[in-house]
Amino acid sequence: MGEAIVITSGKGGVGKTTTTANLGTALALQNKKVCLVDTDIGLRNLDVILGLENRIIYDLVDTIEGRCKVHQALVKDKRFDELLYLLPAAQTSDKNAVTPQQMKTLIDELKLEFDYVLIDCPAGIEQGYKNAIAGADRAIVVTTPEISAVRDADRIIGLLEKEEIEPPKLIINRIRPQLMKSGDALDVNEITTHLSIDLLGIIPDDEHVIRSSNKGEPIVMEPSTQAAIAYRNIVRRILGESVPLMTLENEHKGVFAKIKALFSR
Amino acid sequence: MTTKQLVLIKGTKEGLVLQLDDQCAYSDLLDELKRKVTEEGLEGQAEVTIHVGNRYCNQEQLKEILHIVQESKSLKVTKIKSDVITMEECNEKLLRNQSSTYIGIVRSGQEIKADGDLVVIGDVNPNGKVVAGGSIYVMGRLKGMAHAGFNGNRDSVIAASWLEATHLMIADLMELMTNEITILANKPEMECAYIHTNGRIAIDRLQDLRNLRPNLSTFKGGS
Repeated sequence: MGEAIVITSGKGGVGKTTTTANLGTALALQNKKVCLVDTDIGLRNLDVILGLENRIIYDLVDTIEGRCKVHQALVKDKRFDELLYLLPAAQTSDKNAVTPQQMKTLIDELKLEFDYVLIDCPAGIEQGYKNAIAGADRAIVVTTPEISAVRDADRIIGLLEKEEIEPPKLIINRIRPQLMKSGDALDVNEITTHLSIDLLGIIPDDEHVIRSSNKGEPIVMEPSTQAAIAYRNIVRRILGESVPLMTLENEHKGVFAKIKALFSR
Repeated sequence: MTTKQLVLIKGTKEGLVLQLDDQCAYSDLLDELKRKVTEEGLEGQAEVTIHVGNRYCNQEQLKEILHIVQESKSLKVTKIKSDVITMEECNEKLLRNQSSTYIGIVRSGQEIKADGDLVVIGDVNPNGKVVAGGSIYVMGRLKGMAHAGFNGNRDSVIAASWLEATHLMIADLMELMTNEITILANKPEMECAYIHTNGRIAIDRLQDLRNLRPNLSTFKGGS
């Protein structure tokens, strides 16, 4: 029996879908069988970020309305041998096409077969959100170091605490160390004390993320980038390892490098 | 013919008191009251308190009694006193005097409401709201909205370990916490908000509360 984790944020554009794609890919890289479920019916994106857009045949609404079996709708990611699957959202219906009860039944069915079911939640706190959290065992809240995103995260955490799921965990996305240092953006400590939930990880703002999303290859597949390391760390924490929080300083030069730099001028 | 008088007029320090008998029939009482207030040759206008004793009178009956007494031009009723209240009134009163405790964070979009005093152990985040019939005490950071004395208790206060609220409301008054309130520019630690004698909400150090609202303390004894 697997575990269903919903990735939510309240505010839009903070990186829920990117986070879902990358955590899912990183879990598959750790040899876990993963299913990603896009619940953003009407505005699906997860398929694009995974580069699976043109392989969709059936979608979530088709399975719920019985037009196909769950297996037929799952899109296999060929880069990962039988480990990573996507259940895409419908693009032609809207959020009211599905009820929380139907969603829960679907997720429970997926949990029997997969180690992890990651649910990508739409922005907002309406029907789409209610559907997304219906089948989840755990929740991850994504925010950015902006006041508006933190406010919405606070609201979402309040709503999640009323549900019968484990206390949510926090990911702070798109961190720009320079801005944090100068005090122009909220720092990690401020955000965690304000929201007072456990921090699962921090992800630096990295332009590689945009580049790889546009190519349809999740950033975790390029392990040299900081963002990839950050996502991989988070996955190791989800799997129960204790990994220290990464430092986001720009690479420190050693003493010798500094002296060398002085002379080479 | 009854020998007992059903309506007694007594003079006390606080003025005249109409003591109504609480054992006789209600109709007898009304008859005698009518007689008494018209008979009495009072000069000028006298202020009078009606005391109904252990008789339970509902709002209609109280109105009736009040009406009879006020028909006599020389008597002006200031107060109606009674020794009995219904369970409902009693429970309401109890609720108003009760202190409720909430442990946890009041997050954005959440509202915590209490009929009496409210103690919050945890933060009140921006866009979170705490409402109480009595005073509000926050052991944590108050960064959202607080409304003390919502049913008109102007003596209630809002106290917090860290008072950085966006809106403070006491009874029917509201204060927006803009930067103009200079005391907040410093460290808003251990402070309380109350209605100042000038009629506006003021903020002071928590230590001053003892002098500002001595009645809030319910503690008895000690050395």
